[in-house]
Amino acid sequence: MECERAEKLLPDYLHGNLGAEQEDAIETHLESCAKCREEVALWKKLGELPQEQPSPALRVRVQAMVNAFQQAQAETSQRASESSRMSPGWAGWRWFRSPAMAVSFTLALLVVGFVAGRYTNSGNTSTTRPDAEIAAMQTELSNMRQLVVLSMLQQQSASGRLQGVTWSTQQPQTDPQILSALLHTLRFDSSVDVRLAAIDALSRHGNQQQVREGLADALQTQQSPLVQLALIDLFVDMKDRNVVGQLQKLQQDAGLNPDVRQRAEWALGKLN
Amino acid sequence: MTKPVPDEELMLLVRNGECDMLGVLFDRYQTPLFNFYCKLTGNRAASEDLVQEVFFRILKYRQSYRPGTAFRSWMYQIARNTRLDQARKQRPETELDTELAPPAPPADSAQQEQQAALLHRALLQMPEEKREVLVLSRFQDMKYNEIAQLLGCEVGAVKVRVHRALQELREIYARLERSGAVGEKGFSGAGNVPPRGAGHGM
Repeated sequence: MECERAEKLLPDYLHGNLGAEQEDAIETHLESCAKCREEVALWKKLGELPQEQPSPALRVRVQAMVNAFQQAQAETSQRASESSRMSPGWAGWRWFRSPAMAVSFTLALLVVGFVAGRYTNSGNTSTTRPDAEIAAMQTELSNMRQLVVLSMLQQQSASGRLQGVTWSTQQPQTDPQILSALLHTLRFDSSVDVRLAAIDALSRHGNQQQVREGLADALQTQQSPLVQLALIDLFVDMKDRNVVGQLQKLQQDAGLNPDVRQRAEWALGKLN
Repeated sequence: MTKPVPDEELMLLVRNGECDMLGVLFDRYQTPLFNFYCKLTGNRAASEDLVQEVFFRILKYRQSYRPGTAFRSWMYQIARNTRLDQARKQRPETELDTELAPPAPPADSAQQEQQAALLHRALLQMPEEKREVLVLSRFQDMKYNEIAQLLGCEVGAVKVRVHRALQELREIYARLERSGAVGEKGFSGAGNVPPRGAGHGM
């Protein structure tokens, strides 16, 4: 068989679609043709490449997205039966429905926007999509991302909340609601790791008044030395002189951890 | 033993408002889809974002799913469009595609590991249009007629494309092998432009 003819049959050979006769003919050709042989070898090698596994965080994010979506639906349709119908698929997802009050309020606000977006676009699934609709969908997607971050910050497991904080930093732009949720996390989260991650995430938005105030506030209320140290370092990084008073006050706290006191002193030296 | 519920039935349930059923479909397809995107983009984080967006669009467009349509084909249609939209949004100067973790080392030999890494790199250096057809036919276990339907072309054309892609892969692979490029960092992002989509409904 000539190469030209073999090439035509090769794709079917690779998928095992050929009859015995043609298969034999190809194999005879392969013995004499290095090019075709190499191609078959490459095809085999491709099949041996290992399968990549997505991180467990992906499932958490999609869970959060579906929950947000359902919540949005439930709030529009008001059908009581909707939320009680729970099927095996997402059975483990119930825990999303125990939101902290402050965050759930923001969530509700977002849901309104999300639903509005969804309904203005529903029914439009034609094959060509005008730019306006793409733009609308981008907005909707970014709403969805907000919902995901907010849902993730409400999870029961600290590692889940940690993922939420981390993910929030990967968003192209952070909106005020996410910043509020992060500040809420910094203030009330029971895990030191999550609070530290929140400080890190918030440090990117140190130019915003809301964030500065929240961080300064945290300096007064946080009891964990690790968190206090991270806050002090951040203020020095941001060269925020407004916290000098708070640092001085902190220093006078009799029960203060000696390391924190020392760091506060160092910070005051830097800031003054 | 109960038979697994077919994808299509699950999707119809999702369509009828039982969004929880998406979980089952997610468990079935998160890994194949993730691999589809990893092989296309070479970027794990971007691939996870894309998979998430696909499931978001499945929910959003669930009413457009028609009974009798193969769920997998419908899902891949969405997956392709998601990638096209993402690539369009992406600023040209942002470089993708170099972050894919090296394949897990096989038990037997370092040489095999090197070959796999080389093959990965060769694959990522192909134009995405050619890479896609290989990814679909080799990694997604799609039959040529399924691919033809997805790409909106004839079965014969798919076969030609598979063969040309394989030819090009062989050339790139041979070139890399000659230059002993294994382990070197960074390569051109020229292959990162996604193919033009035929239909773009989702």
